[in-house]
Amino acid sequence: MTRTASIVGIIVNPNAGKDIRRLVTPATHTSDVTKVGIVRRAIVAAFESGASKVLLMPDNHRLAERASDGIKGDIEVLDMPLSGSRFDTITAAHLFCQAQVGAVIALGGDGTSRDVAIGWPDAPLIAISTGTNNVFPSAIDGTSAGAAAAFVASGAVCLSVVGRRSKKVVIKIDDRDKSLDDLALVDLAFINSMFVGARAVRDPHTVHAVIACVATPASTGLSSIAGRIHPVGRWETGGVFVRLGAGGRKVRVPLAPGSFTTMEIAEVRPLGEGEKISLSGKTMLAFDGERDLPVSEFGTVTAHIETTGPLLIDVERTLVLAAQALMFDETARHISEENHVY
Amino acid sequence: MSDERKLSYGQAFNEAVSQMMEADPDVFCAGEDIGAFGGVFGTFLGLQAKFGEHRVVDTPISEQAIVGLGVGASVTGLRPIVDLMFMDFICVALDQIVNQAAKLKYMFGGEASLPMTITTAGGGGLSAAAQHSQSLEALLCHIPGLKVVMPSNPYDMKGLMISCIKDNNPTVMIKHKRLLGMSAVVPTEAYEIPLGKGNILRPGTDVTIVAYARMANEALIAAAELAKEGIECEIIDPRTLQPLDADLIVDSAKKTNRVVVVHEAVRFGGLGGEIASQIQELAFDYLDAPVTRIGAPFSPVPFSPALEQHYIPDAKTILAGVREIMQRNVIRG
Amino acid sequence: MEISTTKQFDLHRRMVRIRLFEEAAGRLAEANRLPGFLHLYVGEEAVASGVCGALNDDDHITSTHRGHGHLVAKGGDFNRMMAELMGKATGYCKGKGGSMHISDTSLGMLGANGIVGAGSPIAVGAAFANRYRGRGQVAVAFFGDGSTNIGAFHEAANMACALHLPIVFACENNEYGEFTPRHKTMAITDIVDRAAGYGMPGVIVDGMDVIAVHEAAVEAVERARQGGGPSLIEAKTYRYYNHHGIQNLGLKYRPDEEVATWKQRDPIFTFEDRMIENGVATREKVDEIWAELRQDIETAIQFADDSPYPTPDQIMVDVYTKSSTSNTTVGTKS
Repeated sequence: MTRTASIVGIIVNPNAGKDIRRLVTPATHTSDVTKVGIVRRAIVAAFESGASKVLLMPDNHRLAERASDGIKGDIEVLDMPLSGSRFDTITAAHLFCQAQVGAVIALGGDGTSRDVAIGWPDAPLIAISTGTNNVFPSAIDGTSAGAAAAFVASGAVCLSVVGRRSKKVVIKIDDRDKSLDDLALVDLAFINSMFVGARAVRDPHTVHAVIACVATPASTGLSSIAGRIHPVGRWETGGVFVRLGAGGRKVRVPLAPGSFTTMEIAEVRPLGEGEKISLSGKTMLAFDGERDLPVSEFGTVTAHIETTGPLLIDVERTLVLAAQALMFDETARHISEENHVY
Repeated sequence: MSDERKLSYGQAFNEAVSQMMEADPDVFCAGEDIGAFGGVFGTFLGLQAKFGEHRVVDTPISEQAIVGLGVGASVTGLRPIVDLMFMDFICVALDQIVNQAAKLKYMFGGEASLPMTITTAGGGGLSAAAQHSQSLEALLCHIPGLKVVMPSNPYDMKGLMISCIKDNNPTVMIKHKRLLGMSAVVPTEAYEIPLGKGNILRPGTDVTIVAYARMANEALIAAAELAKEGIECEIIDPRTLQPLDADLIVDSAKKTNRVVVVHEAVRFGGLGGEIASQIQELAFDYLDAPVTRIGAPFSPVPFSPALEQHYIPDAKTILAGVREIMQRNVIRG
Repeated sequence: MEISTTKQFDLHRRMVRIRLFEEAAGRLAEANRLPGFLHLYVGEEAVASGVCGALNDDDHITSTHRGHGHLVAKGGDFNRMMAELMGKATGYCKGKGGSMHISDTSLGMLGANGIVGAGSPIAVGAAFANRYRGRGQVAVAFFGDGSTNIGAFHEAANMACALHLPIVFACENNEYGEFTPRHKTMAITDIVDRAAGYGMPGVIVDGMDVIAVHEAAVEAVERARQGGGPSLIEAKTYRYYNHHGIQNLGLKYRPDEEVATWKQRDPIFTFEDRMIENGVATREKVDEIWAELRQDIETAIQFADDSPYPTPDQIMVDVYTKSSTSNTTVGTKS
């Protein structure tokens, strides 16, 4: 394997961590200053750990420029038109793929990781949570993330050892005037709501059904509904379908951080890998917790779970392997591709 | 016996506030350090213990928001007393005082009233230097919509403060820092001294001295001295500077034919100019001499006692001013 | 929270009323029939409507120099508003306030305000009074992104949080402080980043989406009403016209393409499309509403035209409130 460069790509979603959940629950606000700090630490750590170049997604908050200001090294902010929406992340992930980026660090929520997976389905990804009730990304500091990304991008630590394929909900929507493919990394929910509105799903009474590929009681949000009845771990195969409604178990669920509600479960069905499930009729689809797409009464939504999500990089394992290979020693500062340890 | 009861100027203020808070649940106080501490000059002492934290509110050091609190609370029906520790700090809150409090009623076509009182402490003499000693009443008197009150003694303080609280307009009650300890007989019952009505502090025939706040007291000292020389001064204390009781001043001028106006504020652009101007407009033909203005020199208030004692007018300055105006001999045609 | 059909029409009506009033005011200004400055709210209708739609009649709001929309959304009367803009005696302020001071205290609308940032401290006072009386009323301070650079905003935000008052800070971030883009006047992009510094929650909503604004406003208002304290809502929005006046394109400080992009997300038209798609409204019904409200505007212009100007003897009226306790005549010799 030959590499021309060890490129780390960084995406920071400027909009994450500021939605209505801060008002209705004690969810954490993540300021731009906090995000800039994480990215800045990631860039410094990436260069420290052997990255030859850092590529950044531009954003209309200029977080990328602010985070990289004054840092010496080959730093490039992608030249791409900005929409100020989630499509910026999708575009940037796609461009990272074309630029042969070796590891992607994405700061945001579940939605941000989902957009990376849409733009680059096989992205080697470190997903940093900048919100509260995220399932897919984790709370990782920029310093560790930047170092791990660089070790992976340079090949010093092999992606096949520390990267693991995540799951996703593969979704097909057939409606009156459209046929769409989409995906979710945690859950797809069917909401009785006419409007996208403030996006976050927070009213338990509007949730009709949830298809989750990760359902953990350790999370908050939609996936925690299934997680409290039929847990499915991140690395287990398959997922679970839950239909809300009267007649079954009543479960206490933190639909938003620090805010519990009783949900009535009409049906719970485990889903095997690839097992299809179809729902028809008027609904609002929420991908990874956010209302996004209305479906008309003529629409049908078909979904299944497969293990074709992004390659999630295990940051801690990467750093342990690097330590074992003495890569933090002063003498190993200049890591070349001949220096592979695995 | 109660007629003989004496209160200090500061206590008279406190009693006025206390009695109005007892009488009207819509009255509340807000300001810096006025709660448990009782205000930096102690004028709010004991009020929070008596009326609770919800009616005597400690605020952040935020003069704009303090006055804004008064504007918003009064325009929605309460009767706030908001305190700005030092008069110099009105400058920090001037937008809320000048552009909001003073003007909302007019700009709203009359469909609002702002029964709020801004209380503050003005005047020098404490070596507090240029940012804690000013007399900025002329600034406030220039603003239509405001009423401005500066009492010269404990009795006036209580009656004027009660009138301020009861008034349905934004009023500014300026306590003079050097008068806070002044003691005098103050009736126990609540009483009002109408805003806009001046007071003849001492009747006289030869010269009128218009003086307010601490200067009224200095004028009294000067008048006692001048009486020994056979000069009988009439001292007019306007009590309220906006609205100004010009009738009282002009009537006195017509009687004595000579007027000296005294204030602690700098002479240039001070209220003395306005008073002198009204006298010449309304009583020009009665004057035997130009109106004399006594005020501070046009400099910031100096710090050192060695300087400040020469900066602020006092009985001696007034004596000199009266003697000078009395030396003018006018032959009437 | 699902928005009822009635509420959807209510929010729609508030927005259309604002749009029609502002467009009419713009046309009158163009014809030199309105004296003074005119700051139009067109483009930002979802914010005032979404927030005021979450308020009761006796809740209070403070407004900005761009204040017509807030008064309309709070239920303002077209006739008296139009008359005020023309400086007539029948106007809300009897011709003494004009566009920048338009108000209706009986609707809890404590005035548009010519001083940027000045409304927030007043809203704090109203919120204080509301809690003091204990009738469960709430105050909302509307303000723009630019006013968060003024001390008054910071003092108000801090005091509201220190005193835990029932208030909602509703920021209309239209990306320009008068003629200068936001990024030149502050080092942050989201006004909501300031909220945490005072200890209150802050959220961003799409200010071109009335439902998004309304959902957040309902939560914030309810939170305040229940004693949960202040919160800040930042609505990302855009004004179609210039800072003042009616020019919208060819402005030196912002590109025409930017205006066009925002207009594609028009708060009224996108909402109508959604209502129709949802089967809540029909195109005919929507057209009917516009036609009916257009008629109201025509009536208001006629009313204002027919109204007399105030007479010079009114200059000295309402400088002061007559006080029952004082027998002196107010005002001084002039």
